[in-house]
Amino acid sequence: MAMIRCCLETEVPDVFETLVRKCTDPGCCCWCCSALRPRYKRLVDNIFPVNPQDGLVKNNMEKLTFYSLSSPEKLDRIGEYLFQRASRDIYRRRNGFVVIAMEAMDQLLVACHAQTLNLFVESFLKMVQKLLESTDPQLQILATQSFVRFANIEQDTPSYHTRYDFFVSKYSAMCHSNHNDSAIRKQIRLAGIQGLQAGVVRKTLSDDLVENIWEPVHMDKIVPSLLYNMQNSRYSSKEDATPDSPTEGRSDPPQFAETCMRELVGRASFGHIKCVIRPVLRHLDNHQLWVPNYFAIHAFRIIMFSIQSQYSYTVVEALMTHLDDHSKSSPKIRTSIADTLSKIISIAAGESVGPSVLEIINSLLSHLRVSVTRNQSSSNDEQLYQEALINALGEFANHLPDYQKIEIMMFIMSKVPYSQPDRVVSVGKGDVLLQSILLKSLLKVGTKYQTIHLNTTFPPSFLEPLLRMSLAADAEMRLLVQKIFHTLIDRHQNIIKLARPTVNVAQLDLTIEKASRPDVIFIRKHGPEIYLALYESLELASNKVENVESIYTTLALLAVELASEETVLELLRLVLSLQDLALTSSQISVSLKFNLHAIVISLLVLISYVCNITSLMDYASKVVEIRRKEAPHLLPDLQSQYDTGLSSRLAPALLVDQTVLSECLKGAGLDSGKLQQGSGYSSISLQHRHSWVDSAGRNSLADINSGATELDSGGSSPGVQKKLPGEELTFESMKRILTENNNNHIIEEEKRLQLSHLFRNAPFQDLVSKTQPKHDVLQSKLSEIFNTLSVDPRNTSQPGGPSADTKPSQAPAYEIHFPELFFHIKDKNGIWWNSVSMSRIILQHYLYNH
Amino acid sequence: MEDYKFLFKVVLVGNAGVGKTCLVRRFTQGLFPPGQGATIGVDFMIKTVEVENEKVKLFIWDTAGQERFRSITQSYYRSAHALILVYDISCQPTFDCLPDWLREIEEYASNKVLRILVGNKIDREDREIPTHVGEDFAQRHGMYFLETSAKEAENVERLFMEIAAELMEDKIQARSKELPRYETNTTSINGKTTSIGDTSNCGCSRLS
Repeated sequence: MAMIRCCLETEVPDVFETLVRKCTDPGCCCWCCSALRPRYKRLVDNIFPVNPQDGLVKNNMEKLTFYSLSSPEKLDRIGEYLFQRASRDIYRRRNGFVVIAMEAMDQLLVACHAQTLNLFVESFLKMVQKLLESTDPQLQILATQSFVRFANIEQDTPSYHTRYDFFVSKYSAMCHSNHNDSAIRKQIRLAGIQGLQAGVVRKTLSDDLVENIWEPVHMDKIVPSLLYNMQNSRYSSKEDATPDSPTEGRSDPPQFAETCMRELVGRASFGHIKCVIRPVLRHLDNHQLWVPNYFAIHAFRIIMFSIQSQYSYTVVEALMTHLDDHSKSSPKIRTSIADTLSKIISIAAGESVGPSVLEIINSLLSHLRVSVTRNQSSSNDEQLYQEALINALGEFANHLPDYQKIEIMMFIMSKVPYSQPDRVVSVGKGDVLLQSILLKSLLKVGTKYQTIHLNTTFPPSFLEPLLRMSLAADAEMRLLVQKIFHTLIDRHQNIIKLARPTVNVAQLDLTIEKASRPDVIFIRKHGPEIYLALYESLELASNKVENVESIYTTLALLAVELASEETVLELLRLVLSLQDLALTSSQISVSLKFNLHAIVISLLVLISYVCNITSLMDYASKVVEIRRKEAPHLLPDLQSQYDTGLSSRLAPALLVDQTVLSECLKGAGLDSGKLQQGSGYSSISLQHRHSWVDSAGRNSLADINSGATELDSGGSSPGVQKKLPGEELTFESMKRILTENNNNHIIEEEKRLQLSHLFRNAPFQDLVSKTQPKHDVLQSKLSEIFNTLSVDPRNTSQPGGPSADTKPSQAPAYEIHFPELFFHIKDKNGIWWNSVSMSRIILQHYLYNH
Repeated sequence: MEDYKFLFKVVLVGNAGVGKTCLVRRFTQGLFPPGQGATIGVDFMIKTVEVENEKVKLFIWDTAGQERFRSITQSYYRSAHALILVYDISCQPTFDCLPDWLREIEEYASNKVLRILVGNKIDREDREIPTHVGEDFAQRHGMYFLETSAKEAENVERLFMEIAAELMEDKIQARSKELPRYETNTTSINGKTTSIGDTSNCGCSRLS
């Protein structure tokens, strides 16, 4: 009862009031029938004040809201009617009423329940569109605000896909507003961005049912619009770090556009990223924003920061493809793109795994290769471009885990074209350039790598080609290789301290740590190879001071990093053979020899310091002292040119003496036997290094073709060949060696026969008198016997042969002839006799006669 | 108010400074803005016209002629029902670029789009491109042709009215063709091919 009364009470005066009000409005032509109009129309009419300045009639609006809530089936008609009124008002340019109508619609939208909204929404959106279509900026902004409010409502079935295309187009157009009044322009642009963000991006992305905004049709509008606004931000003109997280700013179009961009990219799934990136790239192309590339970097940073991290490498990929597309463009643009790549690649690197890493590296390398082949004369810009690519590579590698860095280094190494060191056909100029570029990139990657264990850093498949490259014909290249070694070997930041040879090691303040077990194993296994490569590298005549210095640094770093007793010996052996090289080599220049002497003494000082062997230190400092007095040119610093007056003949006191060294080592309790074994890294020592079984097996072949055996060991020890500089391995020379050897055999056989004949036929007394003396005179006895032989074997075999020529070619043959198992005797003619067979002959003879 | 029967999207393209914006302004607002600045990106206008007692609403997208906005302007071609390609009769280069524009239209616009070639600024004394040259070009490329002056309001109204009429006719034809196709599925293939032939060979003499 009370309810009805209440209703009546509110209803009756309401009707009355309406009538009164309508009558006062001269613009209303149908006042007389207003009481007869449907109730919803009356309610709607009532919310409009007489004067638009008064604004929405609040309590009437409440009534309308209450009505629409209680009878939701009327909602669609209310919406329709409101829309009709508003369009009429727009047409008549009564904007005040339009604003009120829009406000009413907003309120209804918020108040009503989601499930009943569907029909109302249709007219609401029509209304928004109507306002957007008008030329009045205020109405457009108003419409956008309403649209944003609408977008924030959770809705089951978004129903505006029919108008979707229009909204995207219109908001994009608004983003480009060029209104004369800058304040209004800013507002319209903001409204445009807001419309894109709230309405289009947010609303449609949350629901799969609506139209796909990732279609290129839409993205091609949305993305350039956002970018166009972002362009005016402070980042676009100067270098400034892009913040990781968006700074929410709704008042500044660039800022706001950026926020919107982040949101858009953040929502992109794998398949859609390309749709976003493509317009970005096109926009940058069209607006010529690559040079300078601040904005490009800024934009891509934003993308990288907001993209779902597992997809980030697709951005890198897209940028690379774009680089491909730009292969015809000016190097400046390419450099900028590559630079952008290097700036963002680090962000991507953390997430990309597996094949994508190698793919990226591979494509970077192929870009490098293309760049090298494209421009042989390598203009400055092209070089900058290559630099930028290498930087990108380094940046990328920097952010990868260490095990992948090794993989990458191996991968790059495998791409380096290299020729066999002994091949006559040299690589082309382009290849040389490519080699050096690839090595540069390798160096870049290497500097980012932190070595822990040498054996993980240098797997054989990586070490081997690297060592081979260290013997490249080009001095620059060798320098690069050494630099790679430096950065990979150094673990305690000693590079700078050891960059130049010095004898004042104590002042360097080196960081030294005892070598770990795996490292010692590594160096035991691969040390000889490394040392040999370094030795050979020093042998090259084209070395410059920097080369020598860099090799010194490599050796010094090795010594510091691997300071253990076992390695010291090897190193000292190398040092000694370097000295030998300096003394004996005929290939290298005098100044290089002096350089070698200088690094020999520097290394000796360093080694003794590192291993803390006092006697060795004393000895080293003694040599240094003498040199300082008498031959300062044998001490660091290295010079490329020395006084011409300086002789390369040196007094023994100035040199490092092997016997003193071994005594010092013995004194320190080290086994110096190895040191004495050979003088180092010449061919002899190499053969000692091979297992004797191996070499015996090889040498037991009847026809020892010394040339051939030397060839097969040539790969690992080219030093053998180096020792015979004048020799040519032609068919003729092989034949000569072969026949010569055969002659030798025959002659030896002959000699043996003669000897046994002598022993058989000579009177026993003679023999007794010959054999009775102690065994140590055996040699002299035998030589006596040989003296009886009138023929000199060598002279018979090669009567007119120049002995100076044949001698070096035969020398290795002799050594190989007899496995080291046997004890050798050399007679005064230079013929080796096998003591075993000799004593057997003597014994046989003795038994025979008894 | 919202009682229009047809809605068509018309996009204007052409080199910068040929008078696209002025044409639109003249048509929608009836004024000629003397110091019109360059359009940025895209601009939008509407106008409802009446053709054969039917209300036709035209959405007119006025694009920027500048090269740098090409990527966004291209994205508007696709949904267009009619493309107005504008050149300046007193400026040879704007005419020379027409093949490039056609290529772009070919690439980005729908193939059924109605294409109109417009030589603007006929009020100018220093004409460089004679009418017949423009006409020839239009004929060769299957376009309608019209010369206008936004300043003198010459042919502007006619241009848009004819477009509206033409689009409406197409639409009605398409609708009437569609109906039997839904009813009888069997005849569709033949009917379809002829209809495509019809639309692509649309004559170019009607407007001029």
